[in-house]
Amino acid sequence: MKIFKFFITKIFLRKAILSISIILLLFMANYTTFIATRSILSTFQGYQEIKCMNQEGIYIANLDPDSDVDIDAIGENGTQIVYDYLNNNFNYAFYIDGFMVSLPNIDDMEISLSYMNEEYYELNQFELSQGTDLDFDYQFDKDKEIPILIGKGLSKTYPVGSTIKIEDPVLEQPITLIVQGVLKQNAYHYNFYDLNLKKYYNFSIFLPVNAEFIKNANIDLQLNGLMDIVILQTTKEKTVDLSEVMQDNLGLKFNFFSQEENFDYFNEYYLYSLIIMSITTLILLVIITCLSIWNALVSIRLMLRDFTINLLVGLSYSKLRKIFYSYFGILFFINLIVIFSITAYNRYEYWLRKDATLATYGFFGLIGMDWFALLVVFLSDIIIGKIIVENMLRKIKKIPISLGVLQ
Amino acid sequence: MTNIIDLNIKEKVYKNKKTQLSILNNFNLKVNAGEKIAIVGESGVGKSSLLNIIGLLDIDYNGEYTLLGSQTNNLHANELAQWRNQKIGFVLQESALINSLTIEDNIKLPLLYAGSGKFFFKEEDFENVINAIAIKPILKKKPLECSGGERSRAVFARGVIMKPQIILSDEPTASLDVENRERIVNLLFKMNKEFNTTIITVTHDLEMANRHDRVIHLERSR
Repeated sequence: MKIFKFFITKIFLRKAILSISIILLLFMANYTTFIATRSILSTFQGYQEIKCMNQEGIYIANLDPDSDVDIDAIGENGTQIVYDYLNNNFNYAFYIDGFMVSLPNIDDMEISLSYMNEEYYELNQFELSQGTDLDFDYQFDKDKEIPILIGKGLSKTYPVGSTIKIEDPVLEQPITLIVQGVLKQNAYHYNFYDLNLKKYYNFSIFLPVNAEFIKNANIDLQLNGLMDIVILQTTKEKTVDLSEVMQDNLGLKFNFFSQEENFDYFNEYYLYSLIIMSITTLILLVIITCLSIWNALVSIRLMLRDFTINLLVGLSYSKLRKIFYSYFGILFFINLIVIFSITAYNRYEYWLRKDATLATYGFFGLIGMDWFALLVVFLSDIIIGKIIVENMLRKIKKIPISLGVLQ
Repeated sequence: MTNIIDLNIKEKVYKNKKTQLSILNNFNLKVNAGEKIAIVGESGVGKSSLLNIIGLLDIDYNGEYTLLGSQTNNLHANELAQWRNQKIGFVLQESALINSLTIEDNIKLPLLYAGSGKFFFKEEDFENVINAIAIKPILKKKPLECSGGERSRAVFARGVIMKPQIILSDEPTASLDVENRERIVNLLFKMNKEFNTTIITVTHDLEMANRHDRVIHLERSR
């Protein structure tokens, strides 16, 4: 320990520029690895979620980019005709979220309402930590309680069995909800069109939607619900007919993409993104590692006299190897702590900003994905550290310890 | 007289991609405890290489070496380092100091590798050494703030701080004026007289060499 302290304070840190540059290089390597791993993992999770849509007979609605959109011209009659057509001819998964309401809770968060029908709920297989699954066969009546699922964050204020009264933004009337179950901590949903973007359900309420509910809801829910509607167990020909009904009644042109089309799209776009991201990160890592080795070898050249004198008076190569490994171990440990702190603070910021869709629970503030990325950084550190230290020792051993070096 | 060095070198070869140089061919050396030996010879004959081998800095040669009764060829790198620390002292030119350390830290450097506790036991020896060579006023200075003579004395102090049985000195007075040269030589010989320390000096200075018990002339291999 005494020898190690001596090397840190009297040898390594005396070459401040070299020490700082190696610290910065290693931090860049670590942070790049961390961000890339998290992005890859996040995109992969999104891809896995969307994969459940890639089944035979599933078609996802997509508003044609060339379609003229005149929202004001769309009336409730038009949307109701479309829903009647849907109810009579198709099975469909309905989901819409983003409706915020104020609801007293311990964490003082705005609450996000997510509306979904039974098909969507079954397709996504949400896991619960308490209570029972959503019941979609309730009779819609403004005086009756609607069974709901809530996020983990809300369960502290509203345990299973408790009731919540809200002014529902889509029904535009007060309703009473009864908590039937609590979603698993950090349950999430990815954006269909950006698989790296997700929303967490910790402060969300899942409202079960059935045909009757949709009928009573305002046009915001009815129209926006159609934007990403997923038609199940159908054929291309039937979706063409549906598209015509929508065009006639809403004035909007919708495309319905098949399983194969979606699959090709996902593979082409997201898998390609994942591969590009991985390769770019790997190239960056190789470059940064090479720069770090170069920096370390320059340090060796500048500190050769110091090392030689130490070897002369009793330092051995094996001790030197331990010193180098300990030194880089400490640098990597500091980097891990810094990355941990930055990430934990970022996560904590969502709580400070009362961002209900991004607030998460985790171990010391970090969620599983963050810890996994830190583990990858740790493993990459072992590899980078070994490469740098062994190169440094090889360089030192190449120059024989001799009196000649000092003269 | 106890024989402490028994060295038989068949050959020491320096190789690079294009050339190969063989020195110290069939070189034998026996040294008794307390002997003062000077090694002289023109540049390139292998004086410093010989010192590297005797000082356990170089084990890459063809031959056998018994030091203080132990065969050194099979010693582990850690043992070699320990022997360099505790049995051999190196007295080199004044430039052989770490410039980022104070003179005191430079002198105490071998104590760092001496194992736990020894630092405290050697504090008294440290005081004795610095008093003997009169460098107390410069202990907190950095080497570059000192004169050549002061640096030489610091290098000497570092070489003797562990009270080694053998002192290897490589041109210790090469860049010094007459007064400082005398000072270093006298200190070396005082160590020899008081502690029966074996002194092996590589030098170009024949006058200094002749003050040793034995002078070995190295010649280029034919």
